[in-house]
Amino acid sequence: MTAPAIELRKLSVRFHGRAALSNIDWTIPPRTITVLVGPSGSGKTTLLRAINRLNECFEGCQTTGAVWLGNAADRRDIYRPDRPLTDLRRQAAMCFQHPNPLPGSIASNFTIPLRCVLGLSAAQIEARMRRALADVDLLTEVGDRLHAGALTLSGGQQQRLCLARALALEPSYLLLDEPTANLDFRSTAKIEELLQRLKTRYTIVAVSHSLSQARRLADQVGILREGTLVQVLDSSQIEDADAFYRLVESYF
Amino acid sequence: MAKWTDWLVQCWCWLASLAVLGVVSGLALFLLRRGVATLGPELLFGDVPAGAAILGQQRVFDGLWPALVGTLLLVFGAALIATPLGVASGIWLAEYGRGRWGRWFSRAASVLAAVPSIIMGLFGFGLILLLRQTLAPQANTCLLLSTICLALLVLPYLIRATEAALTAIPEPVQLLGHALGLSRWQCIWHVHLPAARRGIQSGIVLAVGRIAEDTAVILLTGVVASAGVPQRLTDRYEALPSTIYYLAAEHRNAAELDRAFGAALVLLCLTTLLLCLAYGLTRFAKRTP
Repeated sequence: MTAPAIELRKLSVRFHGRAALSNIDWTIPPRTITVLVGPSGSGKTTLLRAINRLNECFEGCQTTGAVWLGNAADRRDIYRPDRPLTDLRRQAAMCFQHPNPLPGSIASNFTIPLRCVLGLSAAQIEARMRRALADVDLLTEVGDRLHAGALTLSGGQQQRLCLARALALEPSYLLLDEPTANLDFRSTAKIEELLQRLKTRYTIVAVSHSLSQARRLADQVGILREGTLVQVLDSSQIEDADAFYRLVESYF
Repeated sequence: MAKWTDWLVQCWCWLASLAVLGVVSGLALFLLRRGVATLGPELLFGDVPAGAAILGQQRVFDGLWPALVGTLLLVFGAALIATPLGVASGIWLAEYGRGRWGRWFSRAASVLAAVPSIIMGLFGFGLILLLRQTLAPQANTCLLLSTICLALLVLPYLIRATEAALTAIPEPVQLLGHALGLSRWQCIWHVHLPAARRGIQSGIVLAVGRIAEDTAVILLTGVVASAGVPQRLTDRYEALPSTIYYLAAEHRNAAELDRAFGAALVLLCLTTLLLCLAYGLTRFAKRTP
């Protein structure tokens, strides 16, 4: 499976007439981790949510420009009206800053989306759930209590569960909004290790407030400021720590 | 200064909580002291054997049984009508009603919430008068009319409770279902309603309590002093609040007044039982995957 690229073309997002993103032109290469950094309110989360059209859940949102997803044979502008939203959101799965399992059991976190979105049978759901839990190293920890409440898990486990839930939909893209912001260093290390493994299969775009994490994870870093993409750093620019920190901080 | 303010606020909050506890305990103790002696099968069934009364083989003239059944029928009937309507309206307001229609509907719910119960009773009474003059000359005040009027009375509680509970859901949970690719209704059913369950449940509990204790609506829409257990929805009926009113207002000696306190205790036990049932059902629903 070739994980396709993301192309943003003249992408602008406004909320009630106020610009949140302005004229973003950017190509995100396939099977890489791209980290978005920038001051609070610079548009990082808005950019992430533009890739799965989640901004449209908010009143007064206006998006112009295009976001192309898919490989050469099957490239589509996701803002074309003929594209079903549910299909797009399955393809570009998202994890939030706070772990937010669905109310109910660990298993129902898989049953609900897999049955509602993909219409899978119980056996298919079971297989996908176990595969996804194994992918995030959670199967050994929770495999014997899948019907226990999801909220009984620790914060790190809940975040991995949310990641597994996203993976179970078999997406092509993973959109992660500060996935380790509320976790301790051990859980953070586990998630980072997991993302490094997953990038061989998915195109990952993550928001992070931690510059050291951005360095550890990213193949490229996009710096946003006041809704504008001010610079994109490639791996060679990320390698030199001092130069990286100096450069990023100059935009804050 | 800040330390003193902290201390004062803390003391005030403690005192307020203790005062609420004191008032509730005082009320319960007062009712118990006056009414506990009257509690027993005789209060409910008079001189009729309990089994015969419950099975409807003998009519109870001198007991609270018909009023207890009447109140239960009112509560279940009105809750059955109001809950789906109120919850659905609350969902519409929170999830779809953004725009001019939403604002108008919200105002209408506020107006309905401000309607005093006696006006709702008058509306029901007026409706019957209109029906008698037009479509149904035999129409009369009855259990069904009271149930509908009470459902209308508590509808705004349910609408507001559902709307408030849904709009209070944190943003990441609001977005969660959409991000997973669920449709709008699937998001509401699988994510938003379970997350808002506690708030909606509080609204239902409040509505049930309000239905059980209302007197003004039923006095004008079908309750009478001695109707027995209603056999049909179009029958007149007895209810505990009006029975308490009659017993207290027309008592001729202390024993009769104590029966009113006994009836009040029965009503209190009934509402407590209904609240426990509502909580129990929610806990059961929570455990069911």
